[in-house]
Amino acid sequence: MSNKNLFLKSAFVRAPLQNGVGRYVCQLQRIVLKFCKSHGASRGIRDFIEQDLVDFSRQNPGVVVYLKPRRHRGPVLVAEYLNGDRVWMSVHNKTHSEITKWMEVLRTQQGDVAGARLKKYQYTDYPSVQGPWTPFTFKDPELNVATLPDPKFGANNRLSVSATEKLRLMFEKQKISEKDMKIGE
Amino acid sequence: MSAAKRVQQWATFARTWHIFDCKWQDPYQSAEVIKKYLLGMHKPIYHPMNDCGDVVVCINSREIALRGNDWRQRAYFHHTGYPGGATWTLAWEVHNKDPTMIIKKAVYKAMRGNLQRRHTMQRLFIYPGEEIPEDIVQNVTNQIRQLRLVPTRLDHIDEEEVKKFPKVMDYPTDYVLK
Repeated sequence: MSNKNLFLKSAFVRAPLQNGVGRYVCQLQRIVLKFCKSHGASRGIRDFIEQDLVDFSRQNPGVVVYLKPRRHRGPVLVAEYLNGDRVWMSVHNKTHSEITKWMEVLRTQQGDVAGARLKKYQYTDYPSVQGPWTPFTFKDPELNVATLPDPKFGANNRLSVSATEKLRLMFEKQKISEKDMKIGE
Repeated sequence: MSAAKRVQQWATFARTWHIFDCKWQDPYQSAEVIKKYLLGMHKPIYHPMNDCGDVVVCINSREIALRGNDWRQRAYFHHTGYPGGATWTLAWEVHNKDPTMIIKKAVYKAMRGNLQRRHTMQRLFIYPGEEIPEDIVQNVTNQIRQLRLVPTRLDHIDEEEVKKFPKVMDYPTDYVLK
């Protein structure tokens, strides 16, 4: 499957730019809560606005909060981030507690995190210490000076020794030991 | 991309030339090995969508060895497209006509039938004998190991070696060898 056929844009896992190491800069810039004053689907978001919204904006003075009532349309959260990302999220029929959690997600994430497919679950700036592989990595250096084709490099060296060959080797060994004995005398 | 990285890229994706000696080798089993080199499957960077296949030069294709009675029994099918245009040619006939054909067809058959297959086959060079053009042999940097041991004929071993070979007993002088 090739990358271009996928609808999601792809990205690598990235470290959050050391945000929060010295001081924390909230990446959420602006959040718009769109809801209907009468429909049941907006019930949860209306509860959230009545009970928690003032506390939310008081605790996050850096975030601009807009409320946009609109008649007979579904409830929606739209978050805009420092890096220019815009996240649109439907909160149709979501309860008060669910919306509290989603608001927390939108507030703490760095841009549109869910909008990208991760190519891998790990990433490094230094993929290899010994250097990338080349065709000559782990090659026998003797090949550099050999004239190919050469049966030394071409013959199968993974076969077990045949019985005849084993017998011949034993005979050779015996001859050597006989010679040693003669020298010993 | 810096100059060093660019060179690194060339080195990693460089096409290597391999040589394979077909002498006494089974073409159908060898094809499975050759295929891997042609497609680059022997490399750690292999991925079906990156172009990392190597070049393979096969020599001595005239000396291949088929199994059992394949020379007499195996038939190669061809159809001209016209009615009655089907022909079945026996392996020995094909081999007499073109000594590179059997290994070529074996490698072609070993690979999956996709659009890349014909282009991959362009990277396979087959020569019936030992002689290879100079411009091809100078590229070769690696040799693929054979699958089978190449047997040596008794009359190709020099006489001294034969005499030195250990024997359990000698034939009697009046023994008639068949």
